[in-house]
Amino acid sequence: MNVYAPILVLLALGAAFAIFSVTLTSFTGPKRYNRAKRDAYECGIDPTPQPVGGGHFPVKYYLTAMLFIVFDIEIVFLYPWAVAFDKLALFGLIEMLIFIGTVLVVYAYVWRRRGLEWE
Amino acid sequence: MSGVLSASVVADTFTLPTIDYGALAPVLIVAAAAVIGVLVEAFAPRGARRPLQLVLVFGSLIAAFVAVVMHAGIRQLDGGGAVAIDGPGLVLQGAVLLISIVGAMLMAERMVDPAGDAFAARASTLPGSEDERQFSSRGFLQTEIWPLMLFAVTGMLLFPIANDLLLLFVALEVMSLPLYLLVGMARRRRLLSQEAALKYFILGSFSSAFFLFGSALLYGYSGSIKFGKIAEAIAGNPGQNMLILVGVGMVAVGLLFKIGAAPFHQWTPDVYQGAPTPVTAFMAAAVKVAAFGAILRVFYVIFGGLRWDWQPMLWVIAILTMLIGAIVAVTQTDVKRMLAYSSIAQAGFILLGVIAANPAGLRGAIFYLVAYAFTTLGTFAVVTLVRDSTGEATHLSKWAGLAKTSPLTATVFAIFLLSLAGIPLTSGFIGKFAVFTAAIEAGAMPLVIVALFASLIAAFVYGRVIVLMFFADPPADPPAVVVPSAFTTLAIAISVAVTVVLGIIPQPFLTLLEQAGVFIR
Amino acid sequence: MSPSAYVVLAAILFTLGSVGVLVRRNAIVMFMSVEMMLNACNLAFVAFARMNGNLDGQVVAFFVMVVAAAEVVVGLAIIVTIFRTRRSASVDEPNLLKY
Repeated sequence: MNVYAPILVLLALGAAFAIFSVTLTSFTGPKRYNRAKRDAYECGIDPTPQPVGGGHFPVKYYLTAMLFIVFDIEIVFLYPWAVAFDKLALFGLIEMLIFIGTVLVVYAYVWRRRGLEWE
Repeated sequence: MSGVLSASVVADTFTLPTIDYGALAPVLIVAAAAVIGVLVEAFAPRGARRPLQLVLVFGSLIAAFVAVVMHAGIRQLDGGGAVAIDGPGLVLQGAVLLISIVGAMLMAERMVDPAGDAFAARASTLPGSEDERQFSSRGFLQTEIWPLMLFAVTGMLLFPIANDLLLLFVALEVMSLPLYLLVGMARRRRLLSQEAALKYFILGSFSSAFFLFGSALLYGYSGSIKFGKIAEAIAGNPGQNMLILVGVGMVAVGLLFKIGAAPFHQWTPDVYQGAPTPVTAFMAAAVKVAAFGAILRVFYVIFGGLRWDWQPMLWVIAILTMLIGAIVAVTQTDVKRMLAYSSIAQAGFILLGVIAANPAGLRGAIFYLVAYAFTTLGTFAVVTLVRDSTGEATHLSKWAGLAKTSPLTATVFAIFLLSLAGIPLTSGFIGKFAVFTAAIEAGAMPLVIVALFASLIAAFVYGRVIVLMFFADPPADPPAVVVPSAFTTLAIAISVAVTVVLGIIPQPFLTLLEQAGVFIR
Repeated sequence: MSPSAYVVLAAILFTLGSVGVLVRRNAIVMFMSVEMMLNACNLAFVAFARMNGNLDGQVVAFFVMVVAAAEVVVGLAIIVTIFRTRRSASVDEPNLLKY
């Protein structure tokens, strides 16, 4: 169990800090509510309304999320490469450049097809 | 904690993989062309895309085929044992490439549909919407199909030469993911097409998960993902083990799904019917060749030592596949669905070559695959030509009396059906003969009797269509047989030529297969 | 804790996922179940890597993650297209192909 002791300590510290800050702010902070503050996500943008009959399904969120996932997950291959970077030497570098080049091609496609524009 | 441990393992046992890029040239050429195809989509003006893509597709496929031919005689493990370049692998790669060339010809056809090609003008538009009408009337073409197709071919080229479980899984997905999309892109009957894509996708990913868990069990048993090492572990440890038996079963499920063997065949009729017909032709032929290539390699190389454990399982599956395919085909009223069930039955016949588990079985299975693939390309190519105002006239009643309106089309279709039925002087006969004799040689006589029975039922199905075309009266509103451009004409001509030539002079190809030998272990 | 416990957990997760695909009728939920099956495979691979004392299993897990992400994108593209047409993600509702 000793192996897990640091994790448990960290867990306890994190929980304590979270409880402490939430409790403290509820006592000290000013309480000025308005409509925007009561929205589910307070980020300055009006929440997208539910699609009504014939209305549009907000595909743009889906598209952004998908693009994020695809490009985000490619990074995973950089970790083992970085760990064995010295051993892989030039061979690894060239292979990785080819890989990143391929990802870049996809990026160029998304960019040219205006997948990165928000409206 | 374990990360530190892992890093030290790396430091101890690290060796750089050697990769012979020349031997991988066919795969690399097609993959590079696919990536360039994406760039073309990104930067080329709309009008230039189709010609550029066609040059890329046909250029890369032909170049890859030349590379395969130049590799004849190579027999080596590559990439640290992840890839096996050997005779059967090269023959299968060559077959996949030739099939893809013919399939690409069908996909490139623009003359049979007055609105354009077989694909939706813009796959993202809603079916029946104003957007769709506008894109269609402005003559837009979805040129993304070409990179997608090349990516699928890349996967198919890797599939039969993959020699470890990881590469096999990646190849499986590289092959499947573009196909899921291509299936859903039909220009006409788009709801049907999208629904087919959904079914194919859900069931396909379900089956690849099974494949993957089976791989995990094999890895857990043997400590390696390399086929050779797993085979050694099995040979060095006789006696049954739950890990290995369940692993074999689950890997087999994943692969058998791709060839549409019963009871994993439910997707086949729906997908074959819903997909744009050129895509149906391409996937019915090429996926089957690639997936059977992988099945043959996996069962010969890894599971050879476990023959007595998996053979009963494959017996049941082969019998089910042949009978279900042949019997259900009798009840079909749609040409594409009927051909789908017939392809299920054909998969059952080819499984006989796998079950035989001898060199003759391997040769027979590959011969049958090539014969079946070109015949199938031809049948679906003919299906694209018989049309009425709503698109392809796939209902069988519309095909009645086709010989009276277009004797040539009906004759060509009849040749393909005769080959599927296994009538002498067609490639289908030689294929069946080769597979059945190999199975008898391996002592699977009961299986061959079932296969003959199933062929008889299948022959009835095909015979009925031939009778319908030649001796029935045409319907009140007969479909028109459109005159295609050179693309489809050439594709059908090649298919007829292969079907007849392999039927009359099969010896050169059989000799080639003999020289190709068996899989490298 | 012995690594074999993780293999058992992976098998349980895999079974749950496959039952999910078979009994649920919402495409998104079925799809999530498939993802769970893939992640169960990952867990099994990593546990076996630990048991076998080599890294192959961990490498496989990396690739499976990437393939799963690609599958998510392709799958959601298909599901969203159908959803936009039919405003439903039930797999029973699209039934043009059953007759």
